[in-house]
Amino acid sequence: MSLHAGTKLEKVLAAGQFALTTEVGPPRGPDVEEVLKKADILKGMADAYNVTDNQTAVVRMSSIAGSKILLDAGLEPVAQMTCRDRNRIAMQSDLLGASALGLKNILAISGDHQGAGASGKLKGHPGAKGVYDVDSIQLINIIKNMRDEGVQAGGDTLTSKPQFFIGAAWTPLGPPIEFRVLRLAKKVAAGADFIQTQAVYDIKAFAEQMAKAVDMGLTEKTAILPGLIVPRSAGMLNYMNKNVPGVVVPQELIDRMKAASDPQAEGVKVTLELIEQVRELPGVKGVHLQAIEAEELLPEIINQAGLSPRPEV
Amino acid sequence: MANNSTADFQPQITLLYCRQSLAAEAKPVQGNRSGDGFSARLVLLPCSSKVQLPHLMRLLEQGSDGLQIAACPEKACQHLVGSNRAEKRIARGRELLEQVGMGAERLGLDRGAGLSLDDLMEMAGQRAEAVRALGPNPMKGV
Amino acid sequence: MITAEWKPIEEMVGYLRGHKKVLVIGCATCVAECAAGGEREVETLAPLLAMAMQNDGNPIEVKSATLERQCEPEFLEAIAEAAAEADAIVSVACGIGMQLVAERYADTSLYPGVNTTSLSIREEPGLWTSRCAACGDCVLGFTFGLCPVARCAKSLQNGPCGGTRTNGMCEINEDTPCIWRLIVERATARGRLEDLTKVRPPKNWSNSPAGGPKRMLREDLRS
Ligand code: SF4
Ligand code: SF4
Repeated sequence: MSLHAGTKLEKVLAAGQFALTTEVGPPRGPDVEEVLKKADILKGMADAYNVTDNQTAVVRMSSIAGSKILLDAGLEPVAQMTCRDRNRIAMQSDLLGASALGLKNILAISGDHQGAGASGKLKGHPGAKGVYDVDSIQLINIIKNMRDEGVQAGGDTLTSKPQFFIGAAWTPLGPPIEFRVLRLAKKVAAGADFIQTQAVYDIKAFAEQMAKAVDMGLTEKTAILPGLIVPRSAGMLNYMNKNVPGVVVPQELIDRMKAASDPQAEGVKVTLELIEQVRELPGVKGVHLQAIEAEELLPEIINQAGLSPRPEV
Repeated sequence: MANNSTADFQPQITLLYCRQSLAAEAKPVQGNRSGDGFSARLVLLPCSSKVQLPHLMRLLEQGSDGLQIAACPEKACQHLVGSNRAEKRIARGRELLEQVGMGAERLGLDRGAGLSLDDLMEMAGQRAEAVRALGPNPMKGV
Repeated sequence: MITAEWKPIEEMVGYLRGHKKVLVIGCATCVAECAAGGEREVETLAPLLAMAMQNDGNPIEVKSATLERQCEPEFLEAIAEAAAEADAIVSVACGIGMQLVAERYADTSLYPGVNTTSLSIREEPGLWTSRCAACGDCVLGFTFGLCPVARCAKSLQNGPCGGTRTNGMCEINEDTPCIWRLIVERATARGRLEDLTKVRPPKNWSNSPAGGPKRMLREDLRS
């Protein structure tokens, strides 16, 4: 199989190695140092690092700029792009720019609604006009057509074809559950080369959705990386279970975290078990591992899971 | 010219009362009565559900110091939900009055059954007390 | 219907400072149905504005009228006399009606008493919910008659985002159903879930407000 973009992530997957991605959220300011600090902790730990695009609709350093800083520091970025803030003109222009800067892994997502920024402690910009010119599936297809056909969405040709390894998100356990695998199939049909999922804790339910994806042949066409977020307390799991759409946390797990004398250590243990469990599932090609506000836990987890050092490809 | 000193202020209350809330033996009364430190104009309604905001706002625009609605107890309304609707409308009216700087207390609804004329006057008197703190209706004499 | 809702009275007071004779006008059509600009609302607002302006130290004289329809020129003549006397008009009709009034009575200041918000239905007494956003490229034929443009917070065309709440409501409002959940349910009930698996291409927004002011021309109807 010829490679689309030849990124490290793509090569690891092509070589049949268990892939590992994680996330670096850009700062709410122009500080390169902030990005480099996180890069320092995580360098060498993962195959690629997602750089979020104004997540929760709060203004941060742009995903493309953050990605370029990582790239220069020797970490391979996955630049996220939401449909909230750009129309198809800006998207394609930014994609060409990203390509020119050497950014080749792109993750296309709908994005949190602009109203979401005001939900936490921050004010956000709830009065902003959301764009939503195209949706994430249409964006995936636009990127694919730029790459494979060298054409823009409007039909004009590009002077040359940018190389991209195209990612998409999947919420396997969100309602309406019967449609979630079909929506995944649409993303794959549109051109998604790899998939990172919403955080998974309910392995049984996730396994059922994965089995359907395998049945439909989707795992032959795309690499699925389940999302795992290191649990740090019972409260955090409770919160996610109740408030984060598509995240289902089994009660036993919440109870187990509650009973733990050292929740942080228990969270690391739980994560290691989750990695083992998803690894067993047919069709799973890696994990997308996050430790929110606790990146320093990741190296230990990755080492103990036997996922370090990352393969040279 | 309205007298603005609180001590001399004799609130003029318009009391709109539901016929059904009156005691069976009580004779419906209409017109002006004077109470202790206030005066009341009694208006008979077939049902409290008949009170509408335009009417209430006009009464205040025309200078009434306060409006009091006497409605049937929740379960007793002859139109079943009539008095509940009236209650919600009054709540909205109070909000609007607050917004225009008139004060929510210029409008109120209370429920009662088997009411006598004295009971009605007592309700009007309570509204008068609530209104007293707000002073005379600034629309008076405009 | 076109829905509208009252602006804060404080904002109206700001407009009316310096005016003396104000005419409040409503419309007995859509805005009456959504309880913003029918006769009842006009006759509530007019005395409220008089009181608000009195308390603001800028007393005004208020007259009121409710037109049968504010978006048809012939109905505007009914207020010709009142408009000539007034030095400001507050309209609680939709933005369409307001503009016709502003054009017909161009010498008088026209102020909006409402914000025009949506094309909605009255779902229950006291509750109106969006149905259409006049996108100019209707996709109801692909979505089982449920609009993903007006009723999805992200106007998604290919299925629900990851934000659908566990109880099936939209991520941005716990009282608004995720329309894609409803579309999927209706497709399932019809045994046609398969129809939703085709990737829908980007929409053509050029016939929506994004494409610039609409000019709809029908030669066969012109004189
Ligand atoms: S698809 Fe467009 S035209 Fe059709 S109902 Fe929705 S907004 Fe209106
Ligand atoms: S939850 Fe449903 S309705 Fe709300 S933005 Fe997502 S897809 Fe649209």
